[in-house]
This record gives sequence, structure tokens and C-alpha cells, in this order.
Amino acid sequence: MAAASSTATQSPFKTFDASQANSLKPHSSSRIFINFKSLTPNRNRQIRCLIKSFENQPQNQNVDFLSGSDSIHLIQPNSSPSSAISMAAASSSESVSKTVKRVCLFYCDETKALAERVAAESDAIELRSINWRTFEDGFPNLFIPNAYGIRGQRVAFLASFSSPGVIFEQLSIIYALPKLFISSFTLVLPFFPTGTFERMEDEGDVATAFTLARILSNIPTSRGGPTSLVTFDIHALQERFYFGDNILPCFESGIPLLKKRLQQLPDSDNISIAFPDDGAWKRFHKQLQHFPTIVCAKVRIGDKRIVRIKEGDPEGRHVVIVDDLVQSGGTLIECQVCNFTYMISVYYESSHTFLKSGGYHLQAMATR
Amino acid sequence: MEENSKTVSVTQKKKVHLFYCLDCEELARKIAAQSDLITLQSINWRNFADGFPNLYINNAHDIRGQHVAFLASFSSPAVIFEQISVIYLLPRLFVASFTLVLPFFPTGSFERMEEEGDVATAFTMARILSNIPISRGGPTSLVIYDIHALQERFYFGDHVLPLFETGIPLLKKRLQQLADANNIVVAFPDDGAWKRFHKLLDEFPVVVCTKVREDDKRIVRLKEGNPAGYHVVIVDDLVQSGGTLIECQKVLAAHGAVKVSAYVTHGVFPKHSWERFMHQNNGSEKAFEYFWITDSCPQTVKAIGNRAPFEVLSLAGSIAEALQI
Repeated sequence: MAAASSTATQSPFKTFDASQANSLKPHSSSRIFINFKSLTPNRNRQIRCLIKSFENQPQNQNVDFLSGSDSIHLIQPNSSPSSAISMAAASSSESVSKTVKRVCLFYCDETKALAERVAAESDAIELRSINWRTFEDGFPNLFIPNAYGIRGQRVAFLASFSSPGVIFEQLSIIYALPKLFISSFTLVLPFFPTGTFERMEDEGDVATAFTLARILSNIPTSRGGPTSLVTFDIHALQERFYFGDNILPCFESGIPLLKKRLQQLPDSDNISIAFPDDGAWKRFHKQLQHFPTIVCAKVRIGDKRIVRIKEGDPEGRHVVIVDDLVQSGGTLIECQVCNFTYMISVYYESSHTFLKSGGYHLQAMATR
Repeated sequence: MEENSKTVSVTQKKKVHLFYCLDCEELARKIAAQSDLITLQSINWRNFADGFPNLYINNAHDIRGQHVAFLASFSSPAVIFEQISVIYLLPRLFVASFTLVLPFFPTGSFERMEEEGDVATAFTMARILSNIPISRGGPTSLVIYDIHALQERFYFGDHVLPLFETGIPLLKKRLQQLADANNIVVAFPDDGAWKRFHKLLDEFPVVVCTKVREDDKRIVRLKEGNPAGYHVVIVDDLVQSGGTLIECQKVLAAHGAVKVSAYVTHGVFPKHSWERFMHQNNGSEKAFEYFWITDSCPQTVKAIGNRAPFEVLSLAGSIAEALQI
């Protein structure tokens, strides 16, 4: 096992040439781990990997990407005659190298536009359709065309539970797909609704987040084992443990998209992050550590609740209020007002407008 | 379950706290009126602005150690989630036992895959119900009336005990009250209905219809039996558009039936399709003498009331007994 660390300082790319180290000559049964450790942990990293050649290579090379907290963007190199194994060629020939695996992506009406953008990100992701019809009594009449064609394939479904009325039809598909002899199943549910009703304060409260987690935990296992459930910025971190053992929740975040966008702003060095309450601070501060922070709080005065600044100073700064979701927007507006007396301008970015980030995850999944 | 006496035997006395969904309030009241042992409880059904439910179970402490039941009605997919939220919570409130009464099991007719790719929504529904948490009383009892396919009994997992009841005893009692009670013949619109019901109605002469393909049409024909001179009662588990029943009635009348009535346990009648059965011209034109339905589909019952030819036979007594099991 060889480990290499690259000191990523000012130059954007650091190339590590594995052929220099003799100890990296692969054996037929050896595995090489190339672990990129950056000394500036919060910089966005791009990892490009081009395997040029192995001496005496056996035919089956497996390249697996273990991603840390950053999404890995697989860049297909131009195929050149000199490379015995190239990423681009791999997808056309299973026997040479299993690097890129196909994913059949199903979707519902509401998520069609996003699904098309996800599929556009990678050749490995293929869109599949479903016939969504309704019987006269209102119950769904569903059909999955070409169901034989997904046998042995990795399958995903991009869901959206925008209202209780659409849950049953999507759930029927979600419960049916894993049993069609697919090799693995991933449910992408970018927004987990009911996430805010996740506790019982009184005996008699009905925590609907528990209901939804239970319904999803009951997805049948496929040949690939438990279903992966990808969701973004779930409202309460404790909800991870509401799920049963037959499902693997994968909690992603839209914050990397925000960070990338902020870096593009002309005043990117004048940004402070504000959290509307302690809950938001708990969920997000670790991902936004290198920005100065402001924390707001709701304070009770009489029978009103007023937003006040608890910590930090927005004066002269471009303040970005960060939260997982927005409902009526009342809290955000109050935050904005109480910060506005001090600073130049305010934007808020809410994670659940960044649906595009779903694309990164599916692509990373396709390369594992 | 065969019909049995109305009085509850002493050994079976169970006090039951009955919760119910909004649609089912009237049926719930009727059930509670059947027995002092059954007490109605209430739930606050509200919605958040995003459409998701905001629910509260009143007096949750009082049901500890008590037998609890919930009367559900999944009249459309949109109302499933809020009722399931209550159904998944009640067993965990330290109740002594939990019974779910779902008189009509929807999706029941989409219960098989003829082609790879068919999505049998009855499986989805059974799976959702099989996932009800277990309570101190063990698996949840699930009371369903005249499920569409008998095989569906085996769609449920081990944490649920399906209890399949039938509305036929109510029909038989009603038939005995008719003036021409000794001139009745039972007709089944297809072999499926015959399989499900003939044993319960074996004291009546039987007529069986069937659908025959002629070119691309499907026509109802008489397969067995002779309706001539009789008051024929067509029996089936549910009615949707009513097309099949109407065609059966025409065939039976053409073969000499004196009167034709119908019984279905579940008057689903999507989009008010019951209107085509109403008596025309002040009763001078009646295709159906009587049309009996139960109150398993409360929205239909509210719309129809007891307007001729419809008569609602209530499941309240049968449910009250089932709660004692």
C-alpha cells in the first residue's frame, strides 16, 4: 500500500506520477491506494486520473474511487494510442477494465427536467421511462417498459414527494424496481419532506418524519443489498437513525455548490455567513468554517418572537444567510432586515434550490 | 367468517377505543352505538402550508394498556399518508393491542403481473400495511371486507394478521325480508365472483355469466343457470363504472328474469358513475329493482344516501363484532 500526499498550495493542479515509485509495480493481486491529502482541507479539489500503463498488466484492472467529502468529477481523457488502459475506452469493453458502470435512471414527471440534466452529465447514466396512468378510481395504473432490459443493471429512481398525493404512485415503483433482478438500487430523494416534524413534544404528536422514514426503510432489498437513499441537507441530523437496516441513507449537501458560486463573486473575500438559528449553525458551520460567521436567534419579547443577532458582526460585509429550506420565508426576511442595518447587501441561498447537485452524486456513483 | 349471534359472549368482552379518519366519522359513530364496550376517540387532522399533515392524537396517555382500533378509508392516494402516520404511531403508545379496520382494500384488482413491468399496486399497499409496528398485543389485526382476490391474504407479512370478513350475511338478512324471498336466484357476473361467493350463497339457485370475446368487443353471456321467472340478484365484491352490471342485467332480463337487483360490498363508483343506475321517470323505468351497497366507501354513501334503487347496508354491527376478536 502506498500513500502519497500532495501539498496543494497555490497551483491548482499537482500531478502525482505513480510510475516513479518502484514500489508501485502492481502484482496481479495487489491493490494500490492513492490517497490525496490536502493541507488546506476546504479547498475544492479536482482529482484527475489517467492510468497510462502497467507493465505485464493482467487484463482485468479495477479502478475504484473512494471519495471523501468532495465529489469526484471524472474527466475522460482523450484516448491516445500509448495508453494501454484509458478511461474512455473502458466503457466500451467490459473485459479490459471495469471503471465506468452504467446506471439506468428512472424518474417521475416532477423530476423529469432534473433527470435529463443528470443524464447529460455522464454517458454512463441512461434515462428510462415509466408509463404513469391512473385508473378511474384515482389509483395508479403503472407499467415499467422494457423491464427485462434492467436485469443485472444498476438502477436509480429520482423521486420527489412534493405532496402526500404523489407518494403512493412513486412508492409503487420504488417497491417494484428492486425485485426485477437489478444489480443494485439507489433512491435519490433530493428533498426529504416532513423533515421538520421529527419529534414528539407531547404524547400524541404524530412525527410524520418517522412515518416517511419507515415507509422508505421498507424498500425491498435487491441483489445489491440495501437500497442507497440519497437525500440533500436533511432537516435534522438525528433523522439518519430513523431508518432501518435495509436502507443506507446517504446524506449529501448542497453547500459545495454554494461555496463554488461564492468564489465566483467579485466580493468573494468580503463574505460572511449568517445562520438564522442555532439549528442551522449546527448543521452547516463545519462546511463553512473558513468564512466569518454570524448567528441569529429568535428571542421572545412579550408574546412576539423577534430575530436578533446572537454572535458575529455583519458591518460592511456581504452576508449570506444559509439554511436548509425555506417555507413562508418569514424567518429569512427578518434575518435579512436585522442584518441590513449593518451591511451592503444580502442574499440567501437555500440548499433546496440546488437540485443540480444531484447530478454530481449519481456521476460519482457511476464510477464506483 | 360466518354470521354469528349479535350478543357478545361474556368471555370475549374487550373495551375498545376507536379512532377514525374524517371520512369515516358516520360509520364510526354507528359502530360505537352497537356496543358500550366501544368508545370513540378523536384526532386533530390539520395540514401544514406545504400540504403535509400536522396531526395530534388526543388523550394519548389514556389509551395506555387499552385495546385500540383505527377505522381507515383509503378513498384516494392523497389521503393514505396522513392515515398511515396515525396507524404507524398508535401501536407504539403502549396500547394493549391494535386493530386496523380497512373495510375496502383499494388496488385489490391490480394484484398480479401479467407482463414483466406491470406494477401491482396491491403489493405496494400490502407492504405498507405489513410494516405497521408491532404493539404489546402482538401483530396488528387487519380487518378487510370482501377483498378482491383471495390470494391477497398471502401478500401480507408476519406483523399483520389479516382478518377477511364479508358483507354477504347482511345481504342474506335483507333478502329474507323481501316479499318474494322464496323466488330469488343469485347471479355472478363472472367466474371470479362465483369462486369468491358461491359457498356463502349455496342455498339459492345460481346463474353464472361470462364475458365472451367477439372480434374486439367483449359481450356478456349467460354461462350456467336459468333466470326465467325469478328475481335475480347479481352479486359481486365491488362496482366501478357499473358497465358490467348493466350488461348482465340486460342479458338476464332478455332471458326472462322478472326483476333484477344487485349487491356489491364496495360501491366505489368513481366519478359519480352511480348516476346511471338511478331510477328514471319517477320509477316507471327501472333496470334495477334494488341496488345494495355497504358503507365501506363513505364518500359514495354520502353522495347517494338511500335514493332508489340504492339501499345502504351498514357494516357497523359486523365491525363491532370483529373488534372483539
